[in-house]
Amino acid sequence: MSPGRGRTGRGGPRASGGMRPPSPPVVPTLSALLISLAFSPTASAQQSGDDATGTGIPVADQLVIDTCVRCHAVDDDGMMTRVSYMRKTPEGWQQSIRRMVTLNEVELEPEIARDIVRYLSDHHGIAPEELRPGRFEVERRLIDWSYEASHEGDEDVDRVCSSCHSMGRVVTQRRTREEWDLLMATHRGYYPLSDTQGFRRFGPPAPDATDTRHPMDKAVAELSGKFPLTTAEWSSWSATMRPPRLAGTWALKGHDPGRGPIFGTVEIAEEAGDAVDFTTRVRYAYARTGEEVEREGRGLVYTGYQWRGRSFVGGDEDTALREVMMVERGWNEINGRWFAGAYDEFGPDVTLLRADGPVVLGLHPGAIRSGSSATVAVHGVNLPTGLGAADLDLGPGVEVVSVTRSDSEVVAARVTASDDAAPGARDVFLAGRPVPGQLTVYETVDRILVTPEAGMARLGGGAFPKGFAQFEATAFSNGPDGEPETDDDLDLGFVDVEWSMEEYSAVFDDDDIGYVGTLGADGLFDPALDGPNPDRQGLRNNVGDVWTVATWRGPDGEEVRGRAHLIVTVPLYMRWEPWRVQMVPGVPRRTSDTGSER
Amino acid sequence: MDHLKAINQKARRIQAHVGAPVAANGGAADAPASAAASDPDALDVVGLESRQGPHIPLGCSLVFAPGWEVDSTGGTAGLCQPVERDLFDCHLACFWPAHVPDQLNHAPDWTGKCAAAQKDWRKIDLIFP
Repeated sequence: MSPGRGRTGRGGPRASGGMRPPSPPVVPTLSALLISLAFSPTASAQQSGDDATGTGIPVADQLVIDTCVRCHAVDDDGMMTRVSYMRKTPEGWQQSIRRMVTLNEVELEPEIARDIVRYLSDHHGIAPEELRPGRFEVERRLIDWSYEASHEGDEDVDRVCSSCHSMGRVVTQRRTREEWDLLMATHRGYYPLSDTQGFRRFGPPAPDATDTRHPMDKAVAELSGKFPLTTAEWSSWSATMRPPRLAGTWALKGHDPGRGPIFGTVEIAEEAGDAVDFTTRVRYAYARTGEEVEREGRGLVYTGYQWRGRSFVGGDEDTALREVMMVERGWNEINGRWFAGAYDEFGPDVTLLRADGPVVLGLHPGAIRSGSSATVAVHGVNLPTGLGAADLDLGPGVEVVSVTRSDSEVVAARVTASDDAAPGARDVFLAGRPVPGQLTVYETVDRILVTPEAGMARLGGGAFPKGFAQFEATAFSNGPDGEPETDDDLDLGFVDVEWSMEEYSAVFDDDDIGYVGTLGADGLFDPALDGPNPDRQGLRNNVGDVWTVATWRGPDGEEVRGRAHLIVTVPLYMRWEPWRVQMVPGVPRRTSDTGSER
Repeated sequence: MDHLKAINQKARRIQAHVGAPVAANGGAADAPASAAASDPDALDVVGLESRQGPHIPLGCSLVFAPGWEVDSTGGTAGLCQPVERDLFDCHLACFWPAHVPDQLNHAPDWTGKCAAAQKDWRKIDLIFP
């Protein structure tokens, strides 16, 4: 289903002065009472829709009104308290609705919850340009990201939020100033200690302080200025937003951490179902091993561009990958991440390109040593077949000896780099078409980079699920200047290495390496059991810091090592991911399912 | 370390670890370590409050600095350990509301099946708020 369609009458804003919803008897629950006490007592009066902080977005959907009006009043202009004054991602709305169910005793059928998430994501959503800086949040990427405050000295704005949760949650929302204020009040109501844990400064301001505001007041000023409800991006996007037409064949390229590049196709078909926009048939192969994967899935698109889907191998739930992607303007590219794992730690980054005609996706491997021979394959979709050596141009100093395979998806060739080939990356052309990526000629491997450079795993397997950590190694040559980590370094791509661990000495007599877990031959770290360890001094958990070490061995026996820091830490005892279904045997399922894709 | 004398085996091992010479009688030698000689403060004992930035002693993490997963140095050595020891304090007073369910709203009965987390940790529920 898509914006503007469906049985709940998603047809754009309702005319002002429309029907007022009936007012059912309201029996305030304890938690609702607490919230209302925590909020500004004049919340309804202040949120009139024409206050100085910005105009709200009318709620036009009768299902949303009927479901939410018990607590959220609607005025004559269709403005609903709270709801009309914020915009969020589908995950943000899912979380809000789930909170209403778990804390405010709202009873919802999953189908109705899904329809509400759909309506609010489409009509109270965020624009592509607004989502892009914070898309790591919805794509569940464990990255090192810093929020930059607008004004010098406002660094504590970041701390107000990220002391407890990712700033990604914050930057993927838009609210009026008053709504940011109310959000702060919500937090103070639910978590009274937050006042002393970051919202308010300790004690009086310093005598020479020029800004005496509390951190939370600075945060509201910052966030309401930087992430307001009304923006040019949203007004522009909401004017052009429509259901994207994605049916057809798409070329797929991606990178699966620890396993290397993937190439393949995705067939997307439109569906007229109530909870499904599209079905997919995915077929891809790992370039390094040739291993082939076939998946079938389903998905829908929120806000005209936010793909949310799930795919399986043979319908097996254990193979599910959640798909979070952005449909780019022009409907010719979709990109994002497919992931799985208790902490969303597995899965490839993917890009889908519309394949109406020939599409060249890339080549593998992307590097060849001077004076050596190798098989290089160009991957694509609808490629011309029966190509010869003359059709593949790998640049100066690299000779195509013979083409060993040429079909519509792969052109593989035996190639030789001459002894005197100049080190550097070459543009590659196949039958006159440019090949994305380059073929790099190098003389020596000088450096191994292990990524992620700071990894994190979580203990599990007892009461809580394990959080694994996947590492991979990339080789670099120092380039013409002979210096490491300079601009002329040559990226030689994914390489096979031998994995090991070393102690990261953080304290005296550090012995973490004996407890934290094991690092497999494929760079996958498997954390140890959660819970206190009676064999460890002080009943410590199996937490610890270690180095993960990659050792690359060259053809002449040379060794190059690289390493990354791995934190093995405690589980999370509460999970905010509203789409997640239960994954630990013996632990109760959540009571309400407001899943966004089925 | 030049203000201290090692008087037992563990102290001598610490002294050896940080590079200070150990006198034959087990006490610290008169001559300071080479690092300390070049920078008298480099290996000296300092008060916690005189350090730059936050410092959380081993055993408790009542404030949100630096985080649930790591200690103030970015590692795990200073985390509350075992985590189960402090867990119910977090629950009762919502010290870590994004990581541990709070008693106030999200999971008032979280400790119901588990009187002592250090012993009954396998009975702790994972909460989906």
